[in-house]
Amino acid sequence: MQNGRRSFLGGVLAAGLIPKPTWADAGAPAYLAAAATPDGSYVLCGIGDDFNIVFELPLPARGHAAAAHPIRPEAVAFARRPGTFALVIDCVSGQIKAQLHSPEGRHFYGHGAFSQDGNWLLTTENDYEAGRGRIGVWDAAQNYKRVGEFDSGGIGPHEIKRLPASDTFVVANGGIDTHPDSGRTKLNIPTMRPNLAYFKEGEIVETATIPQDMHKNSIRHIAVSAAGSVAFGMQWQGDGHPTALVGQHQLGGDVVFAQTPENALRDMEGYIGSIAYAADGKTIAVTSPRGGKVHTYDAQKMTLRDVSDLRDVCGIAPRPQGFALTAGSGDMGYLLGKRQQLNADPQHQWDNHLVAL
Amino acid sequence: MRHFLFAAALTCLPALAIAQADDHVITDTVEQHILPRFKTLADTSQTLAATAQTDCAASSAPLRAAYSDAFDAWVAASHLRFGPTEVEDRAFALAFWPDSRGATPKSLSALIQAQDPIALDAQEYSQVTIAARGFYALEFLLYDDDLNTAGDAAYHCTLVKTVTADIAATSAAILQDWQTDYAGRMMDADTSDTYRSKDEVRQELFKSLTAGLQFTAETRLGRPLGTYDRPRATRAEARRAGRSERHVILSLQSTKDMAIHLAGSDTALAQRAAHEFDTALAQLAELDDPDFSGVDTPASRLKLEVIQQSVEAIRTLALQEIGPKLGVASGFNALDGD
Repeated sequence: MQNGRRSFLGGVLAAGLIPKPTWADAGAPAYLAAAATPDGSYVLCGIGDDFNIVFELPLPARGHAAAAHPIRPEAVAFARRPGTFALVIDCVSGQIKAQLHSPEGRHFYGHGAFSQDGNWLLTTENDYEAGRGRIGVWDAAQNYKRVGEFDSGGIGPHEIKRLPASDTFVVANGGIDTHPDSGRTKLNIPTMRPNLAYFKEGEIVETATIPQDMHKNSIRHIAVSAAGSVAFGMQWQGDGHPTALVGQHQLGGDVVFAQTPENALRDMEGYIGSIAYAADGKTIAVTSPRGGKVHTYDAQKMTLRDVSDLRDVCGIAPRPQGFALTAGSGDMGYLLGKRQQLNADPQHQWDNHLVAL
Repeated sequence: MRHFLFAAALTCLPALAIAQADDHVITDTVEQHILPRFKTLADTSQTLAATAQTDCAASSAPLRAAYSDAFDAWVAASHLRFGPTEVEDRAFALAFWPDSRGATPKSLSALIQAQDPIALDAQEYSQVTIAARGFYALEFLLYDDDLNTAGDAAYHCTLVKTVTADIAATSAAILQDWQTDYAGRMMDADTSDTYRSKDEVRQELFKSLTAGLQFTAETRLGRPLGTYDRPRATRAEARRAGRSERHVILSLQSTKDMAIHLAGSDTALAQRAAHEFDTALAQLAELDDPDFSGVDTPASRLKLEVIQQSVEAIRTLALQEIGPKLGVASGFNALDGD
């Protein structure tokens, strides 16, 4: 043992290498979240699992979500749509390591995901002259150089996730066409068709769709369980009320929608802001800032388990037990069953997503 | 004990008075703001279709006047995007704009070139792409230098008659639904399943106010403004008909009326809102730039930017003061939409 360790270290030193930091190193945050501050500026915060703020970085404009590198304590924080910047952050030091700018004729949607080996970053983008979704590919080893892109399989790709232990990615194509010349005006509501598209090596391997009578339900946010199930949250763009806002799908399977009693469903105001699986994959949690509600669902039965109130709640991420929550009011803390334990933070209006690292 | 009850009764009085007065907010907004606008839209659209039947030439003054009246009526109702306007995507069929990729001129050109017989019948025409329907398509047929004379004259005439008849049918359907069904659903919220409470009705009304203001600021003004380095005069709404500025004025006049209705018994709030609207309208009165082509010159552009800021100030007032009064969540994330 002693000898083995010594010879291993000897080898490292002989090669002139210093072991690179990993996520396990002390000081690395457990979560990332973007926020607005009282003076109107925007920041990105690293947050510890005790909900203390580990670091705070200024952002040039409003942020949205972030993608965590699978190995190094490094994350990429994205501008809110139709933003064109992303920042690569060293999550131990809180320093900016690189900046990404979307190519001419593209803007980011606010989400991205890394390949299993961490060599490639994939970003959801809008080719707005063509009105098509694109997935941009960036080489992490070359200081995040843009190396390619491919069709997202739909319009308005929003969140992208990698399935566990694979290089298969799932993209939520929200279906909504926008063009920066008209701000955030939605251009194609009558004809929108959202889908979930699965990719391997840039090729679609499967597309999951929802019934035609739900075509105005924009699939926007997704979560992936350790078993490879994909939970998705929707945003209703039609008049009146949707029949569901949450669904689940697995490669090769059928889309299953959550059963939500009508009043509880209507309380969500047609809008899911974020979605997460619990650490054990048995529970799906979704937030509605418009309704000020958190719903948890039994992921097996797809039935509503608990309803919890929190004004302007939006960010949600798994904890070893239960979920971590953030709200635009500044509240941050955890949810265990129906029980919330929150701290108010007047210095931060927490933005859309809480990203678990 | 008696003292205590008396004090409680006194302190409750103002709240009770507001609640009672604001019971009228829904009824007044529906009867005085919404129904008259859709009635005017249906009437002027009917006149437009009738005028086109006798006078379909693109340059016809009576046709253009009837078009202007009906389009005015649509803009005044264009923020009321819920219920009857959304059935079968009627509002989109009346108003397909913005058209960032030029689908309207493309689909009209294709119809004209092919002399597609679908344009022979308004009923059939409701099946064509929405980009070729409604007021913005008609603008191309009447005012675009190429499309107003494109193709066979008889076919062009038929197309104008059919598009106007389709507009009239859509507008009549919206009015009928409002009169026979939807007004009741809003005014008797407790007994309809569309809304669960009066609060939900007030929220629907409020959302249409703020969405209307946002559309005017971001799209009607934002599109031609583009960026300082790259203004985009050719993206202005209905610029061929010289209606860009007019639409901003009409939409502000109409949302002003709605904001005052929604402020209800809070006359101080109604006055503050009216003042903000009047500021923007006074700036517009001095602009004199009907098609917003002035965005290309710095001085005129600056005026338009100031107007955009004024509209955003109205929306901020609505979100911060009218929304909370009507029980609408206006949090950072609730307003995000992403």
